[in-house]
Amino acid sequence: MNRVQVYGPLALLLVVLVLVAFPFYWMVLTSFTPREALFRPPYKFFRLDFSLDNYRELLFATEFVRYFANSLIAAVGAIVLNVVAATLAGYGLTRFAFPGKKTFAFGTLFSYMFPPMLMAIPLYILFSALQMRNTYTGLILAHMAISLPLNIWLMWQYFQIVPQSLEEAAWVSGASRLRALRQVCLPSARPGILSVAIFSFALSWNDFTFAFLLQTDRKMFTLPVGLANFVEQTGVHWGMVMAAAVLVSVPTFLLVFFLQRYLLSGLRTAG
Amino acid sequence: MAFSVRLEGLDKRFGRGGRSVHAVRDLSLEIGEREFFTFVGPSGCGKTTTLRMIAGLETPTAGRIWFGDTDVTALPPQKRDIAMVFQDIALFPYMTVRQNIGYPLRIAGLARARVDEKVEKVAATLGLTDKLAMKPGQLSGGQQQRVAIGRAIIKEPKVLLMDEPLSALDARLRVEMRTEILRLHREISATIIYVTHDQVEAMTMSTRVAVMDQGRALQIAPPRVIFLRPADKTVATFIGTPAMNIIPAAVVTKPAGGLAIDLLGWQIPVAPRHYAALKGLKRVEVGIRPQAVRLVPPGPDRLAGRVFLREPLGLEDEVLVETADGIGVRVVTATGEEIPERAAVGLEVAPPDVLLFQPQTGVGLCYGID
Repeated sequence: MNRVQVYGPLALLLVVLVLVAFPFYWMVLTSFTPREALFRPPYKFFRLDFSLDNYRELLFATEFVRYFANSLIAAVGAIVLNVVAATLAGYGLTRFAFPGKKTFAFGTLFSYMFPPMLMAIPLYILFSALQMRNTYTGLILAHMAISLPLNIWLMWQYFQIVPQSLEEAAWVSGASRLRALRQVCLPSARPGILSVAIFSFALSWNDFTFAFLLQTDRKMFTLPVGLANFVEQTGVHWGMVMAAAVLVSVPTFLLVFFLQRYLLSGLRTAG
Repeated sequence: MAFSVRLEGLDKRFGRGGRSVHAVRDLSLEIGEREFFTFVGPSGCGKTTTLRMIAGLETPTAGRIWFGDTDVTALPPQKRDIAMVFQDIALFPYMTVRQNIGYPLRIAGLARARVDEKVEKVAATLGLTDKLAMKPGQLSGGQQQRVAIGRAIIKEPKVLLMDEPLSALDARLRVEMRTEILRLHREISATIIYVTHDQVEAMTMSTRVAVMDQGRALQIAPPRVIFLRPADKTVATFIGTPAMNIIPAAVVTKPAGGLAIDLLGWQIPVAPRHYAALKGLKRVEVGIRPQAVRLVPPGPDRLAGRVFLREPLGLEDEVLVETADGIGVRVVTATGEEIPERAAVGLEVAPPDVLLFQPQTGVGLCYGID
């Protein structure tokens, strides 16, 4: 191999990396830049006037912590309920015969094709009637309504590649159906479960539409809605907005960072 | 203590209406205590479905299954005191060999120390002692199969079911594992019910064999009987390699009185004790094992043909001879008889090696016509 073949792709990767990573870098840099320094030329790529003022203001002078907690509660709820429901549904779809099974499975996927906005108004009316606006339950259910169809479909696919004979071997060994599911099926479907968890988290964490519609009480705002309000009320305090953006991306980053190892190991054993 | 397994009018249909498949039809048989019983047949003959019904993994459409004096038809697999080795081996990929083998005991609630002790004993008999800490993915096919067998025998089941356990292995390993399973059968006190499509496995390992086709048991007998006295044409052609020659023939009356078989113009006399079986028949089908045919120099008083193809099998050659009527006859000869292709040869068969089948139903009529 000559040098072009070795370093060519590397150089290309570097260019892409810069394009992708620069906004993140700029976000982090801005979040640590004091307000006075932010709009004062020259705008350098490297600055040393490091300060935590933006973070201090964000954490103590705004409701950021509350929004963060609300988002976290909604996301964790969505993850747990999605994983439980999608796993059981996927298992049921692959292991039991019932009338209308195919229709159900495809209907599930079909319902995912509707844009969330289409569901927004009906959900608003429905949740008003049920008095579930401004509740965590309502928001979690709304998030499930968007993510569960795809999750069920995903787990359905995953359980199809977990051989039935594994479970049967467990049954013959004396394990009950539930035990076989837990000890034999679920470990094999783990990459699928993690995908469901990540997808549910991402959808809930990033959701603006439903949170904006359903959570009208300031105390119940989630991060995307809360941050949008920041921009309107205080003018645009870019340093603080960027500090918020950094903190918002931390859980996503951690989640993917820790779960990707399992995701990859799952792929390795499956392949 | 093992127990006998009795199937009573066992029937299984999959699906409903016009598209349903009748996998097992009215199957009744009894498998004795500690027997090595094999279901053999082509794919789709219902052998695996039968085994799965015995395991409790499939519910019979009709009929009953008895283990000894207990009706187990409605019992789930967990409560049947059986163990099973699966065709795809089905080891738990996330557990070590030790955990895999010990799984049934852990479910039974045995203390960890007791489980470990038993696992080590089983692993020792199967030559897996140094593999206990590994995951199934790190083992060879033969070792994986041994682990699956270990998991099956550890709880000393009353009935051990094996669903084509060797089909995933390569040819050499298969022969090796055959010996190992036979040794196992001698050592453990379980009734073994074995399913295979490989007639060699069935013939070499079993005390009795059920030859299945289209959901029915065509013949249930010890291997030797199946080979020498096949119940019908299907069994005869399925068992034995190369497959038995089946040639249409006529039943004729000799000028001097008495019956003979006219096989492509060559007459073989039939001993009087077989006359009753041939009564009223004008045509029969003659079955001759390729090993029973001898190639001789061509002559006027014998069946003639030309060598069409020869395949060396090692110690023997398989020779395909085409008769003047265009019928192919397979012959197995000792290697070294160098007969060139297209050469004219005569075929000789001793009357004791001639089997006769009813031409319409295929039912066996005579096993040797001397």
